[in-house]
Amino acid sequence: MANIDQLSAARIAAGVATGEFSATEVAKASLDAIEVRDEKVQAFLQVSSDLALAAAAETDRRRAAGEKLGPLAGVPVAFKDNMHLVGTRTTCASKMLENYESTFTATCVQRMLDAGATPMGKANMDEFAFGSSTESSAFHRTNNPWDTERVPGGSSGGSAAAVAAGEVTISLGSDTGGSIRQPASLCGVVGMKPTYGAVSRYGVVAFGSSLDQVGPFGRSVEDVALAMNALTAAGRDPYDSTSQPCAVDFLEHLEDSVEGMRVGVVPALMEAAGLTAEVRTAVEGAAKALENAGAELVEVDLPNIKSAIAAYYVIAPCEAFSNLARFDGVRYGYQEEGCLSLAEQTSKSRAHGFGEEAKRRQMLGAYLLSSGVYDKYYYPAQQVRTLITQDYKRAYEQCDVILMPASPRTAFKFGEMSDPTQMYASDMFTISNNIAGNGGISVPLGLGAESHLPVSVQLQGPAFSDRKLLRFARAVEKSFSARGAVAPEFAGKGGEL
Amino acid sequence: MALSREDVQGIADYARIALTDEELDEMTAYMNEAVDLLEPIRQYDLDGVDPTFHPIGDLSNVMGEDIIDDSVRALPIDVALKNAGSTRDRYFRVPSILGTDEDEGGIA
Repeated sequence: MANIDQLSAARIAAGVATGEFSATEVAKASLDAIEVRDEKVQAFLQVSSDLALAAAAETDRRRAAGEKLGPLAGVPVAFKDNMHLVGTRTTCASKMLENYESTFTATCVQRMLDAGATPMGKANMDEFAFGSSTESSAFHRTNNPWDTERVPGGSSGGSAAAVAAGEVTISLGSDTGGSIRQPASLCGVVGMKPTYGAVSRYGVVAFGSSLDQVGPFGRSVEDVALAMNALTAAGRDPYDSTSQPCAVDFLEHLEDSVEGMRVGVVPALMEAAGLTAEVRTAVEGAAKALENAGAELVEVDLPNIKSAIAAYYVIAPCEAFSNLARFDGVRYGYQEEGCLSLAEQTSKSRAHGFGEEAKRRQMLGAYLLSSGVYDKYYYPAQQVRTLITQDYKRAYEQCDVILMPASPRTAFKFGEMSDPTQMYASDMFTISNNIAGNGGISVPLGLGAESHLPVSVQLQGPAFSDRKLLRFARAVEKSFSARGAVAPEFAGKGGEL
Repeated sequence: MALSREDVQGIADYARIALTDEELDEMTAYMNEAVDLLEPIRQYDLDGVDPTFHPIGDLSNVMGEDIIDDSVRALPIDVALKNAGSTRDRYFRVPSILGTDEDEGGIA
């Protein structure tokens, strides 16, 4: 009747609820699309066929028994491989956790399952989420569905690519400095980093605990809003002490006009070095579209954002070093054999289990937290974080949301960013939002005039204004009629329902 | 103030990451480049600015009843041990924690 890649999450859930098709048929269509398309895309590290078919069968049983179905009934979903799901390995794309079997299920994953979603598998990522291209995965690269010679972005590159190739309808990623919004931008899908605390981090392998946030990818703003409902509807997670109650209906007001509302534009960011002309033009087009929809554009200033990358590369490596100290090769993870002392075993397990970038970040964090250095970098970086947060607070007195690019450029080629610190600049527009803890969303704007690859706009909002953010995102989507398209090379290949 | 190869070796020892000679050279170059990237942090006059260690400023402790919910949170021993590289009976197994004569050993 249709290809799975043409159906929205709401359409699938409705079709399953009315009996137009079964959850099992949907799961099989998604598995077929993965089978045909993922050989080339390589978005998945594991495809959980058994779990998917069992979950779908349970959804079908519930329907047959007249039980209530969830809002994501039968919707095929992929999870970034730093999220625990019993019955799968959770590898973080690292040799360190190559054989790690999940011993419990992350709250974000469980809530998607509770809403009826079908778990299709675990998506590739940069090792421990350190990167912006998914090239640091210890297992294999993931190819951008729009041009398989190019990266999908990162660190949630597999999650973005699986949705862009139409293999699944929704995926979850995590965003510590841009790891949802940047790959969403490069793969032409919607990707949302909710406000810090909106979604539980319990069961998600920690990178930077004061920065990490889980969020959804989808091919439409509506699908992302549906996923946000599933992730937050049960309220605060008692297992994550930083999770906050924010259960609102994210679908409510989604279609409301933005007339009379104010959109902030930061002139300095639109002139930033490294921002390509085609992305800038597209972002200006999105601003114009919101203006045509009745919103007012206002200039705002975020003077300290220029130091955001520096602050981030103090705070994030320090938190990463602390979090990754648990990988000692004793309780889980790669264990070096034949060592005579625990110290030798720990040092060699960590040396041979972690990849290059994971070692670099931990070394940087170890240095910055050492005596004497802490006062020069770590403490001042947290003070600069205050200044950045205050900049945003002042700006949001003048506007409802701020509009800017998500990624300074479209997808780059494998190996093109060979210098680690050059790669760090990929997150120049996303990172400050993690520092302040606010929400942000990347919305596709079609293809760039020069590269003919996906370009996007990012909308950022004050903390816990995620519903308003979705409303603006929907307004952009409407005026571009750019419901995230499936990459043409893969659209319609396998996946017939 | 550039970081020397010896400085970086000291950090690697502290971080418990055994680096080869070649890796140590690369890491030294990286560390110096990365620290240069952080320079903007040092250009500020931050007198009187409070640090923000966490984005949720008014966090309060999450209190709960002191009840162990085995069904949800406690891992059965076999599950807790199944990902370990080496176990014996109900325990994780490790090499000597005091080390041998040749190294400093032990847990620092």
